[in-house]
Amino acid sequence: MANHRIILTINGETEQVEVPSQMTLLQMLREKLAFTGTKNGCMAGECGACTVLMDGEPVNSCMVLAVECHGSTIITVEGLAKDGVLHPVQQTIIEHGGVQCGFCTPGMLISARALLDRNADPSEEDIREALVGNLCRCTGYIRIIDSVRDAAERQQVLSL
Amino acid sequence: MQRRAKEQKTPQPIGDSVTRVEAREKVVGSALFTDDLQFGAGLLYARIKRSSVPHALIKSVDTSKARALPGVKAVVTGADFTGYIGLYLTDRPIFCRDRVRYIGDPVAGVAAVSEAIAEEAVGLIEVEYEPLPVVFDPEFGVTPEAVVLHPDLGKYDVANFIFPKPGTNIANHFRIRKGDVQSAWAECAAVVERKYRIPHIQHVPLESHVSIARVDNDGKIKLWSSSQSPFAQRNLIAKSLGVSQSDVQVIAPYVGGGFGGKAGVTIEAMVVAIAMKVKGRCVKLRLTREEEFYAASVRQGLVAYFKMGCDKNGKLLAMDNKYFWDGGAYCEYGVNITRASGYSSSGPYEVPNVNADSYCVYTNHPVGGPMRGFGMPEMHSGLEQCIDELAHAIGLDPVEFRKINCVKTDSILVTGMKMHPTGLTESLVKTAEAIGWGKKEPASAPNKRRGKGIALMWKAPAMPPNAGSSANVSLNEDGTVNVSVGGQEIGQGSFTIAAQMAAAALGVPFDWVRVNSPLNTDTSPYEWQTVASRLTWSMGNAVTAAARDARQQILAMVAKAWDEKIEDLDIIDGKVISYKSEESISLKDIVIYGIPLPNNQGWVGGPVLGRGSFMPTYVTGLDPKTGQGPRAVVHYTTGAQAVEVEVDMDTGKVEVLKGVAAFDVGKAINPEMVNAQMEGGFVQGLSTALFESLRFKDGLVLNPSFVDYRIATSSDVPRDFQSIIVEVAQDDGPWGARGIGEHAMVPTIPAIANAIYDAIGIRVGSPPYTSESVYLAMLDAGLVE
Amino acid sequence: MSIDAHPELPEFDYIRPGTVMEASRFLAEHPGEARPLLGGTDIFVRLRDGFYHEKYLVDVKKLDNTGVISFDPLQGLTLGAGVSMNRVIASPEVRSNYPLLAEACRTVASYQLRTRATVVGNICNASPAGDTIGACLVMGSGLNVHGVSGYRRVELASFFLGPGKTVLQPGDIVTSIHIPVQPKGAAGTYIKLGRNTWSDLSIVGVTAYGVPDPALASGYRVRMALASVAPVPLLVPSVEEFLAANPITPDSLRQAARLAQAACHPIDDVRGSARYRKAMVRNLAEKALLTTWQRLQALAGSA
Repeated sequence: MANHRIILTINGETEQVEVPSQMTLLQMLREKLAFTGTKNGCMAGECGACTVLMDGEPVNSCMVLAVECHGSTIITVEGLAKDGVLHPVQQTIIEHGGVQCGFCTPGMLISARALLDRNADPSEEDIREALVGNLCRCTGYIRIIDSVRDAAERQQVLSL
Repeated sequence: MQRRAKEQKTPQPIGDSVTRVEAREKVVGSALFTDDLQFGAGLLYARIKRSSVPHALIKSVDTSKARALPGVKAVVTGADFTGYIGLYLTDRPIFCRDRVRYIGDPVAGVAAVSEAIAEEAVGLIEVEYEPLPVVFDPEFGVTPEAVVLHPDLGKYDVANFIFPKPGTNIANHFRIRKGDVQSAWAECAAVVERKYRIPHIQHVPLESHVSIARVDNDGKIKLWSSSQSPFAQRNLIAKSLGVSQSDVQVIAPYVGGGFGGKAGVTIEAMVVAIAMKVKGRCVKLRLTREEEFYAASVRQGLVAYFKMGCDKNGKLLAMDNKYFWDGGAYCEYGVNITRASGYSSSGPYEVPNVNADSYCVYTNHPVGGPMRGFGMPEMHSGLEQCIDELAHAIGLDPVEFRKINCVKTDSILVTGMKMHPTGLTESLVKTAEAIGWGKKEPASAPNKRRGKGIALMWKAPAMPPNAGSSANVSLNEDGTVNVSVGGQEIGQGSFTIAAQMAAAALGVPFDWVRVNSPLNTDTSPYEWQTVASRLTWSMGNAVTAAARDARQQILAMVAKAWDEKIEDLDIIDGKVISYKSEESISLKDIVIYGIPLPNNQGWVGGPVLGRGSFMPTYVTGLDPKTGQGPRAVVHYTTGAQAVEVEVDMDTGKVEVLKGVAAFDVGKAINPEMVNAQMEGGFVQGLSTALFESLRFKDGLVLNPSFVDYRIATSSDVPRDFQSIIVEVAQDDGPWGARGIGEHAMVPTIPAIANAIYDAIGIRVGSPPYTSESVYLAMLDAGLVE
Repeated sequence: MSIDAHPELPEFDYIRPGTVMEASRFLAEHPGEARPLLGGTDIFVRLRDGFYHEKYLVDVKKLDNTGVISFDPLQGLTLGAGVSMNRVIASPEVRSNYPLLAEACRTVASYQLRTRATVVGNICNASPAGDTIGACLVMGSGLNVHGVSGYRRVELASFFLGPGKTVLQPGDIVTSIHIPVQPKGAAGTYIKLGRNTWSDLSIVGVTAYGVPDPALASGYRVRMALASVAPVPLLVPSVEEFLAANPITPDSLRQAARLAQAACHPIDDVRGSARYRKAMVRNLAEKALLTTWQRLQALAGSA
């Protein structure tokens, strides 16, 4: 069972990694590259704690093989802020009190950012639908939904 | 200069909704959880061989093939360790020795160079079992026909407030005998008698259990763990291994959700035991999500019998409640749930005559451990429905019935304790008003039925009478403050309110304060456990005392240097000021270097280190025969929830349209965080009401994954949720505060059940109120065809 | 998932052949040991659970137009095997011409899972709960299958043999699904009952689909497919026959729903009981048929 050498971009940096076939993107991020911001909640594509952007779209990184990411562009929670300035979804989730234990937060932020990337003016229903694959046991979601709506409004202001 | 009022009620930032101190770390992904810690290439991984049968003698364990697998560094079994573990009852071996008691019971442990090799090695361990008869129901478990799961019950160390019955499966029996229940029935104008079966559920933290252990060549033990209880773990592991607590160090980074599941000892003893065989190497053990559902701890199932009666005016006269707790294979922690539900068995009501029998029963089910609410959600699920039924039986509105009977200041409680000032009536009234009680809104569609329901709750911190907290406050050269606590941040915001209290008690701006993290039993001050919703109150008292101690040291130093009286000095905004001379001096530098005397005559003061501790000293014992005593608990947090639901008559689906919660928190140190607990707790309660149960077949959990153990998602929560903070001060709480963390999820199941009844006129019975159970109940009642 | 699920995926080799024939040959040479890989969202779970034991996963996502959606007004829709469900949902050709398929895809799991999950993968997984299968069945789809002897077409209606079992042989790869041009004025709906409001597998899933057909007594050919109530995704011919012969009214739709109920024999499982499923088939079939009827009339009205 040979290893594969892959080259990919993670948070704007080019990485070269040797990975066995069965290693998931999540494992590669956490265990080969120490991007521990992305979390493992279930290894089954159910909880969304492992959500990252792959070529601009959110995926459960536990459901993607590392070898399938050769040539891909990955963004993790560590890549959301730019030069220390938080992305609006990060800023608003803090302000709305949508962070408690913080374990679901990285995946949640990626899903939220991806939603705003594809829909700059999401309705509440759009937000709920976009986040349905990100389980949270602490907050009850209401503040998170509010924070994403708020982030959408701020982004629209920023883009004016 | 305006003198600050000596008894200033709420100095800032008490009562301010300041931002969570660790929020930024968490949103940029730099907050470290236990599995994020890096241990280098030498890290070994552990996996556990678990019993595949619910109850059996272990005839043999053959580990030879596992040991021979390249990459395996250690294999351990119960033969390697004689020590037992337990918080209230030491009934648990680290690895099974002579028998297994549930599917999942640890039989052996493997450490290997990779998780995959450790897993393969586990598959090579051969265990021969001789099956024993099984106990899957707690009511059966107390009968003479049931095989005794713990023949050594009676030999286990046990706390002096727990009463096991050796020779039986009763790990604890708590009794209330108050007044004369038998005679009271005759006076009742209405009586309700019901049985409820509350299923097992699981905590479902997003972060599953993970621990790393290293035992050095000199025998010193170091443990990193996702833990609510580093000090309790240190203590219990030290005792079970026969070593000194000072030779066990527990480091606890941020916890990705605990809800009680990471309290006490769960996987920690196993990984330490394995690490003892590979001295000098770090060994990591983490549970898969599947293991999390059955092999850590679960919330006990409950079979509850309620009987309650009231007079013609709706005054409760008598209750006779029996609780059979499905405690699982080991009840070392769960025995106290039995006790807590016993001393609170009446629910938040004043009832002059009460019999209660609360039994913790061993069964061949997963280990029943502490889960948010500690028996209160399970108990209230049935009790608050009976209260509604009794109200209807006597012709009273459920809110009016509760107003008459709910505990008030000076009420005599079920244990004979007198109730302290409480805002329960206020919570009830405000909740009822906010939900629009008495107003019936039209359903949103012809195939829907709408209804409202309300429920009350109470809970006291369940803990030994002498559970203590301590804290340190140290200052830095620039005047900033470091607070050291042993209470853990599990998402509830404990670090933030610790910082708020320290800032307020010391007199510095909030953003000058840091809370030391991670917790480390070598350097953090002692905290019993982060459970029981006790930190705001208990740890808060310790932090406040430590900050006041530091404040005193600073004021004494400045008083001496300025030749002034301490009473004329104050610390405001990080400066010491004199009301008399109007002098001021920044805290900068003096808190480390002291203050120089004039003319090079020397120095006054030195490094400031404030210390504080708190331990309640007034909880009394209870008579084992009657459960009566002057002070059963430290205090009760009380509250109410109401919901409006719609039932879809075509599918049985219950949609929660609106929720309201009001809790008496004494003083909201951080109001938005209190609101966040009320919301999050409500949704967790909603999730348990509508979706959650562990499904068992012959002791096997059939749904150990998110696929078939459903929890609430973003699509399931109501848009409209209102939280109401009620503040009736706790006499010994910091600024009057008491806890809220657990309480917020306690009344949700009965509130929803009562609303379903209001909508369709049917009591569906036992939760969860899934679409199927509601629909089939409607079908059986002839409401649909 | 079972209690014995492993912490990681088991060891296997990831193979990425250059051509579809290479892929078929490799699969045929390693029967029982190799499996085609699309999104992986079903396969990875079963591998970790010890239910699958393949030593080789053969990535077929980018062979022979498997990544392409193409629509021709005369030929219909050809959906490459590797096209993600999110792409299907967003595709203008699908939304305009096959909105039922987009509606069905949208009920699957979560947005991030649908970035990887595919319609062809959903079909090949052959779960009776497959959410997109009903829509494909009622629209008369066919699968383009490449094997060691080259391409052949398999009608979707004859594809399923049992839970997880299809007519595919070692070496076979479904490279695309073809959905024929649909008659003008066609309309349908997919109603999925899960435990949560969204996300979740179906306890019961009902697809209803109607096309105007003047040759029939009722003027409409109405087809129904059911998920999670039989060993395979189930078409219900008795509904089609009844609604072809009888005028369509709320009453006849109700009767048709009862026919659907009679046609299925669901089992008790951890997701739902047979008793509940039976009742839900009837209730949801009636709802789905009413919605379909309303949509058909709206289209007819605006024609």
